[in-house]
Amino acid sequence: MKTIPPQCPEPEVGPKYWRSLDQVAETPEFREWAEKEFPAGASELTDPVTRRNFVKLMSASFLLAGFGLSGCRRPVEKIVPFGRQPENYIHGKPVYYATAMPTKGGAVPLLVRSHDGRPTKAEGNSGHPDSNGSTDVYAQAALLNLYDPDRSMRSWKREGSGMSAVTAGAVTDALAGISREAAANGGAGLALLLERNTSPSRARLLAELTKKFPSAGVYVYEPVDPYVHVAGATAAFGKPVAPYFTLSSAKAIAAFDADFLGAEENAHVNIRGFAKGRKVDKSSDVMNRLYVVEGAMTVTGTNADHRLRLAPSRIIGALARLGSEVAKLTGSSDIFSSLVSSFPGSNKVGEGTAESWVTTCAADLVANKGMSLVLVGYQQPVVAHVMANAINVALGNVGSTVAYLPALPAEGSIGDLIGKLTAGSVSSLVILGGNPAYNAPVDLDFATAAKKAKNIVRLGYHEDETSALATWHLNQAHFLESWGDARTSDGTLVPVQPLIEPLFNGLTELEVIARIGGFSSVRAYDVVRETFSQQFGGIAQLDADEVWKQFLHDGYLPKSAAKPVVVSLVSGLALAHTAPAAPSKDKLEVVFARDYSLDDGRYNNNGWLQEMPDPVSKIVWENVIAVSATTAKELGLEITKLSSQRIRNGDSLGKALKSNESLVGNDEVTIKVNGREVTGPVWIQPGLADNVVVVALGYGREVTGRVGRKSGFNAYKIRTSSSPYFASGATLTPTGKMLNLATTQEHGSMEGRPIVREATLENWKKKADFATNMDLEAHFPGVVGTYEVKTIGRVENRPKGIYEHPYETYGTNVNSGLGPRADRRQILKSEVHQWGMVIDLNSCVGCSACVVACQSENNVPIVGKDQVLKGREMHWLRIDRYYAGSVEDPQVASQPMMCLHCENAPCESVCPVNATVHDEEGLNVMAYNRCIGTRYCSNNCPYKARRFNFFDYNKRENDYAEVKTTKRGSTSWVTTDAGLYKGIAGVDKNSSAEWEIIKLGKNPNVSVRMRGVMEKCTFCVQRIEEAKINQKVKAGASSNVQVPEGTFTTACAQACPAEAVEFGNLLDPNSRVAKLRASQRNYEVLGFLETRPRVTYLARIRNPNPKMPDAYELAFTMKEYTDAGKGNPLESHHGAHGAAEHGSEAHGAAEKKGAH
Amino acid sequence: MSDIFPKWTNSLPLKVGIGAALLGTFALGAVGYYFTPKYTRVGYKPTQPVAFSHDIHANQLQIDCRYCHNNVDKSWFSNVPAANTCMNCHSIVLKESPKLELVRQSYTTSKPIEWVQIHKVPDYVYFNHSVHVSRGISCVECHGQINHMDEVYHAKPLSMSFCVDCHRNPELALRDPKDVYNLDLKVDAEKQLKSGLKLAHDWKVNASQNCSACHR
Repeated sequence: MKTIPPQCPEPEVGPKYWRSLDQVAETPEFREWAEKEFPAGASELTDPVTRRNFVKLMSASFLLAGFGLSGCRRPVEKIVPFGRQPENYIHGKPVYYATAMPTKGGAVPLLVRSHDGRPTKAEGNSGHPDSNGSTDVYAQAALLNLYDPDRSMRSWKREGSGMSAVTAGAVTDALAGISREAAANGGAGLALLLERNTSPSRARLLAELTKKFPSAGVYVYEPVDPYVHVAGATAAFGKPVAPYFTLSSAKAIAAFDADFLGAEENAHVNIRGFAKGRKVDKSSDVMNRLYVVEGAMTVTGTNADHRLRLAPSRIIGALARLGSEVAKLTGSSDIFSSLVSSFPGSNKVGEGTAESWVTTCAADLVANKGMSLVLVGYQQPVVAHVMANAINVALGNVGSTVAYLPALPAEGSIGDLIGKLTAGSVSSLVILGGNPAYNAPVDLDFATAAKKAKNIVRLGYHEDETSALATWHLNQAHFLESWGDARTSDGTLVPVQPLIEPLFNGLTELEVIARIGGFSSVRAYDVVRETFSQQFGGIAQLDADEVWKQFLHDGYLPKSAAKPVVVSLVSGLALAHTAPAAPSKDKLEVVFARDYSLDDGRYNNNGWLQEMPDPVSKIVWENVIAVSATTAKELGLEITKLSSQRIRNGDSLGKALKSNESLVGNDEVTIKVNGREVTGPVWIQPGLADNVVVVALGYGREVTGRVGRKSGFNAYKIRTSSSPYFASGATLTPTGKMLNLATTQEHGSMEGRPIVREATLENWKKKADFATNMDLEAHFPGVVGTYEVKTIGRVENRPKGIYEHPYETYGTNVNSGLGPRADRRQILKSEVHQWGMVIDLNSCVGCSACVVACQSENNVPIVGKDQVLKGREMHWLRIDRYYAGSVEDPQVASQPMMCLHCENAPCESVCPVNATVHDEEGLNVMAYNRCIGTRYCSNNCPYKARRFNFFDYNKRENDYAEVKTTKRGSTSWVTTDAGLYKGIAGVDKNSSAEWEIIKLGKNPNVSVRMRGVMEKCTFCVQRIEEAKINQKVKAGASSNVQVPEGTFTTACAQACPAEAVEFGNLLDPNSRVAKLRASQRNYEVLGFLETRPRVTYLARIRNPNPKMPDAYELAFTMKEYTDAGKGNPLESHHGAHGAAEHGSEAHGAAEKKGAH
Repeated sequence: MSDIFPKWTNSLPLKVGIGAALLGTFALGAVGYYFTPKYTRVGYKPTQPVAFSHDIHANQLQIDCRYCHNNVDKSWFSNVPAANTCMNCHSIVLKESPKLELVRQSYTTSKPIEWVQIHKVPDYVYFNHSVHVSRGISCVECHGQINHMDEVYHAKPLSMSFCVDCHRNPELALRDPKDVYNLDLKVDAEKQLKSGLKLAHDWKVNASQNCSACHR
């Protein structure tokens, strides 16, 4: 009998559940795009190498290959053992070292894996009391910087117009010269410009240096500076303190322009705490609630239960209103009341329901007194931080959700330095790290001022814009090559220890400061060791070595967290703040945001980060000028207009794509603010405040490596010292040109089905199993009948799928004739391990650390913007971001998506060469050597999780792109043209010296795939096998072969700061993954296909406050689901909805068949 | 016609036929051997920089394999000893021998000796020594009677079918852990099968035949 596959649900009524604006517009281009596995043109070679050339070159190479048959012999390889083997060294066994990545406001404690002396993967240090093993994208990607072939590889001195390389000795002499000069005049004329960090050793050296050279100046500059948190708390409490937030104990959180899950410092720690408050086993559990007031659409905003759009300049007014409401409701101290009444913000929040939004939010915060938290972001001025601290005090949050830790007073600012430089009182300027020539406020004109210094010494990781000014460029060491120390946000001391000798003899910041100070210890190790024994020792010298060793081993010093300081509000604070006028269509407000990929530009040459899709916009390789849909309409920049314009210009879709152009073209616009302007592509971002323009920093570098070259535009060009984070009075004017933007957003669209399942907490209380009560699974009868499945602890009736199950037979009524085959299948299933994964959508914030971790662990190549435009990105793990609701105020849901390791895998049944098959432990494995690249598997994958190597991405030149302008109809198109892999005609990186550096970073336990091979998530099979082998070695002559829970996990699960990904053995009843799979919220994506995925999801729960003006009864996605007439997941029902009409017939048929 | 073709040509067609048949058989045989997993590199015996004899060390002197290859039960890689391991004995025994000149040099200068690799699986195969020797598979299964080799040569094909054969029937190779490094152990087939089956059952031996066992 011919099996009738289950009918897919009808497209919804009204395109509401959408992934991009093109989908809202339902343009014909979008339809065509969505219906194809790979977009048109993706499979075509649009390369300058013509076919004729190609054939010519190929035949030449075959001819050459004929001589000597050298290809038939295996190359002779050598084994080179040590002359003297170091003790405890075992070749082939990776070693893990504890270290930390220093950041501006803390550090990320890491365990770094080293294969034969080369670091290959950074993982979070789970022992650390504050971070517990969480990491962020930067920590995951930092490894690539170590092996960046464009990093600075030498120190040089400027001589005349050129540079001449200098030896380490010459550098030492030069630094000693500066030291002697400073000693002679007490440091007059010496200025140090530093980046912000938390190193106690650096603080100690600087203190000693300024003591020795009292006239020397120490300045700190960060383009995105978290110090305002300290400044705000210091102003509020009258002593230098830094706020430290414990989000795990907060029940109600109000974030005012505070992207604490994304762009704020220590977001990884915040995410872990926040996610703890979102982990719910049953509907009666208490869950936190997040209120967000913001202008941009941030990661935090996408996770909000209630979100209010306000221009950043208005937010201070909303905060003032919140303060007065809190004062009213708590009847708190006079100091707070007087602060509130003297606060310089307007008490009017905005139009419509904004006012009641803020007051109801205040009431909820007060109701959760002592367990609430008000956060203000780095973009807001000090007065806003003062207010937030005061509100937290009034709410009784100090000691529970916020603590105040001692902080160091502020160093001089870059403004002070420019003042001194312009006055001509600086002779030696020492710039340690940073890149002020690129990112200093444009009105200060750093480059001109710096030239007044006679001698500019610059310690830099890259030869960049600032090196262009320097007289001495010193080559900086990577943190994985350096000794150092840092304190994490809670004050715990962590070591920065090297895993490898500096590859290019780089220096560390500590060494340079020590040499300029003329101190006796100049080696970074000695400096750090001295600091340790001075400040943290306190133990007899005999034990000190042991304590130090333990410290290095653990990667943190236990109980070294800072002791909270008792604080009280300063009375009679005089606060001054003038809010600019509200933005309008002609006077837009520009917001400068820290970029989720490149930070402030420091990761500009990091391919993993450049290609990491922005968590919100999903754009790769560049920044955009983001505006709201309303503003775009007012300015005439609507995206639907762009599409129709292209068709009017006579560009057929296929033609446009063949000429290297993407589907979506974007207007190029010029932002003009305060007489300065910059040009970039416009992007309509749902959820943005109206009349606000958001630009990310860090792109448009002029002097950078080949990866970062020509990516995006430089937003620093319009950023001034008076308005560093948002500026008013901007205008947008289209230039008439069109640009291509590469986004991973449209790819593999899953239109309108309940892929992400959401409910409110109230809904969940009403219907415990709402997650499985959606789509066809709700009452899926099984088109071809049902059969009994014994899973752990229960027996259930499952529908039969249309694909064969690798392990289970469908019972005697169907497979009665299959006897021996059925037996064989039983044997093929392992009784020891069955791997599975559960992803909690309620904790996932969409930060993308897993994406980069996967790339690092699995040797996933970067492909470049040009290839992403064609839909050829290679990420094994992507994060789908769905919008629901209106374009103005959408709800957003993120969903990590990778190969789900279906038991009834559709890909396996279509592979003609058995390259993708099931293994006995539930993995859907890929044998790369068998793959012939038919791509049938990818076509048949319902989750679009497979990636194809269209080119030899690993061998390709990693040049970013050349930008060129072409004329097309009446419109000029600015396109990028990346250096494609050119086969034998192109540069083979394998033979270049560069490859020697690049290959050091590869994971030796994962094959590097070549052209023409399909690949996908392997569940980190190399880690599974390693764990199994270690267990078997341990077991020896015993049967103890089951890998215990917690021995290992996948790269994504390890990296996840939210602990949203759980991986483990489903056969171990104590494993977390087995427990989570039994959760009420557990569901399978496209479960009705009966693919039986091994990766399942836990439905997301939203926690709206019913009293809020924007309260919602159903999560927007669920509302759209019910509006589309697919039934109500909150009611028990039996086959009564539209899409099930067909299903109920099949149901009846199956029942009849089952009865036979 | 005999004027044109000499007499011996009469038998030429037959000779050519036989010759061609022989050649064909030979070619078939050659292809059958060299191009199938039977050969791979069996017999490969490169000249090593130092004339080290396994026969002297492992057989005559009865030094345990793990004295030199001390990481074989710890890592995927069975290490070739560093010069300092050699010098443990050779700083006393044969300390002047010209054959050991390279070893002494390597020890004093720390410059490695470049041994020619003989046993090698392709890069996409992730073979692991430790799991095999820890679970009762002797060196002899893949390396042959290496303890009797004066010069090491490739004794077994180490092809995929060679691996899979054993993974299908591990009971034919499983032995008591104490005999793993006893390369001269001879067990008759019936006994081996009986004890192998018992060990496989007791230790829950599951020699995986899945792709993921070796390919990652």
